[in-house]
Amino acid sequence: MGDRRRSRRLAAGLVATGLAFGTAACGAGSDSAGGDPNTLEVWTRSNPDPAATYERVFAAFTKKTGIRIDYQPVINFDQQLQSRASTKDLPDVMINDTALMGSYQSQGLLKVVDPDSIAGHGQITAQSWSSTVGIDGRHYGIPYSRQAQTLMIRKDWLAKLGLKAPTTWQEMLSVAKAFATRDPDGDGKADTYGMVVPGSAQNGYAAWWGASFLWQGGAKIVEPDGKGTYRAAMDSAAAVDTVTWMKDNLFCGDNAVTQPGALTAVTSTATNFQDGNAGMYLTGPYNIATFDQTLGKDKYEVVPAPAGPAGGDVLADGENIYFGARTGKTKQEQALAAFLVSPEGQKLAMTGENQPVVRIPVNSTLDAATVRDDPRWSVVQKAYEDASQQFPNAPDFAPIKQDTADSLNAIFTYCGSDVRSQLGELNETLDGDLKDQDLLK
Amino acid sequence: MTATVTTPAARGGRVLTKKSVVPWLFLAPGLLLALVFKFWPMAKGVWLSFFDVRPFLGDKWTGLDNYTRVLTDHRFQDAIGHTLVLGIGQSLGAILLGFVLALLLEGQARSLKIVRTAVFLPAVTATAVVGELWRLMYYPTSDGLLNSGLHFLGLGPVQFLDNPGIALWSTMAMGIWIWAPYNMVIIMAGLAGVDRSLYEAAAMDGVSLWQRLRYVTLPAIRPALGIVLTLAAIRGLRVFTEVYVLTGGGPAGSTEVWMTRAYTLGFTRNDIGGASAASVVLLCVTLLLTVTVNHFRKRGDVR
Repeated sequence: MGDRRRSRRLAAGLVATGLAFGTAACGAGSDSAGGDPNTLEVWTRSNPDPAATYERVFAAFTKKTGIRIDYQPVINFDQQLQSRASTKDLPDVMINDTALMGSYQSQGLLKVVDPDSIAGHGQITAQSWSSTVGIDGRHYGIPYSRQAQTLMIRKDWLAKLGLKAPTTWQEMLSVAKAFATRDPDGDGKADTYGMVVPGSAQNGYAAWWGASFLWQGGAKIVEPDGKGTYRAAMDSAAAVDTVTWMKDNLFCGDNAVTQPGALTAVTSTATNFQDGNAGMYLTGPYNIATFDQTLGKDKYEVVPAPAGPAGGDVLADGENIYFGARTGKTKQEQALAAFLVSPEGQKLAMTGENQPVVRIPVNSTLDAATVRDDPRWSVVQKAYEDASQQFPNAPDFAPIKQDTADSLNAIFTYCGSDVRSQLGELNETLDGDLKDQDLLK
Repeated sequence: MTATVTTPAARGGRVLTKKSVVPWLFLAPGLLLALVFKFWPMAKGVWLSFFDVRPFLGDKWTGLDNYTRVLTDHRFQDAIGHTLVLGIGQSLGAILLGFVLALLLEGQARSLKIVRTAVFLPAVTATAVVGELWRLMYYPTSDGLLNSGLHFLGLGPVQFLDNPGIALWSTMAMGIWIWAPYNMVIIMAGLAGVDRSLYEAAAMDGVSLWQRLRYVTLPAIRPALGIVLTLAAIRGLRVFTEVYVLTGGGPAGSTEVWMTRAYTLGFTRNDIGGASAASVVLLCVTLLLTVTVNHFRKRGDVR
């Protein structure tokens, strides 16, 4: 009898230990910053290189305020965020894409932000602040960094072929063809390409890259009607014309206008520009630091994107600072946000050896080109201020971007496809996405 | 959890004896880990598949909505088709190649051991690394390894991954390359158990190579083939990494499979309920397939 009781007790003990081990394993990592009110858990979507910049910024903040930062650079941000959301324990502060605000807000992941509660809020322009207004008219983020796409182009190749940087779609096409066929690198082989395209539908890249062309062609993906609702606009004549032009000239026309494998490429695999075998790349300015190192500053220049029939607008995006819902450290979070948008915080994030994490400062007292002493950044800042459009920030744009990317990728892949009917189908899908969010007009 | 510990006693109606407890004690850590890291998440996944999942706003019960949505979505239907083609092609190809490799490399010679190790390498390399490797081999210009070979033969560069008509087959070829050595090892273990005297008897009867394979080798390695087939079927349906790293489901969704679609649904579109429903359907199909394969295998064994 005694034996049995002992073994039962032993069993119970083992079970308890096992359970404790199990729970500890589950909780590990998520609660490391939860208990201490003077430590903030901060997430950014960053590779190791930009993460090094963030670490410098946070170190300066800790030195100044005594508030410690538990910093986590997360590459697969949204996947990790979903799993943290399911445990109802979010990071205190997150820095991530502007286009994700609607998505996070619709899931209830964000705290409402009162601009007045952030010290120095007046140094951020009203226009920047308006980009963090959610569907209910309240702010859900603090602007942190902005950028617009510009054209990176091989200066030495242009000079060798006696060409000028293109200013229209037609010129861009002829430059691309010249880069592909006239052997700009002089090695006697046909191994150069006109431009780099991250055209995969994965993560919505085709829509992200293609958006600038849509804006330049006068098309929109969704259109607000001014009463808080939207309607899909991808069946417009402008959209059909633009997508047809892209399909016929960039993907189904002469070979080598775009790099091989463009339709399965994402930004991390589309390295032809930095590898030196493609001549143009319409992309974000965060690449400038990378290209300076890999390609060399003297080899390429940064110019405004070539204009389409409706102008030269490019896609603008950037990062916002978000406060995780129900984290209970509002004062410390506000202090961090105030530091991040202050001239000191922004400058730290714009300079240094590593990739800058603030591209165009949201703090209106700073100028990107002056801070960096690099006139190329004024091209980016000018594009952002004068000729750019963002994805709408209020709706949950993730499904809309993904569906648009799927459709564009399919149209560009099948050269015989009927653009009008394909875009008509896309339009119905987008209306469905809006309807799911009760945002359809 | 205590219930698990006392189960044998309860079931047998016997008194709990030291003898019956001890095995469970030893099993307890493993069972606990399985419970916490396997069964609990699995149960949670099934549970979530009935909800519109919004952790911070409260989940909304939607019944079978997620299931009807997933099963009627034409992109999911396409993905199921691709999964079947890829799964069946990859499994059969890998088994066939594994069988051939096993026949070629069976034996004790030292050189064979080295070759076997070399051949087995793909199975122990991370799939993501293999994917990058094949991306380079499939590079669509004459700089790419495969295309430079074709160029040598005077054939034009093939768009292995960018042509929607070829991409799925390119993915399949990589899958076969990864899994054939794995199957080879299992089949080889089966071959080692074949009674040598049967081969000798067959040789005395003057059978052809094909007859020897058909009537001696294959029946003898039947159990090994059964295992290989079951594993391959499960793996074929769950295929994810190979596709994700090689094509990301593109171009134009031509390599989209069940799991990549579920992943997009869950993590790009934030539709965790729908992704859970898709995964549960996959679980059911996998279970069904495993049971069926096992059933036929057992029936075959009895016969």
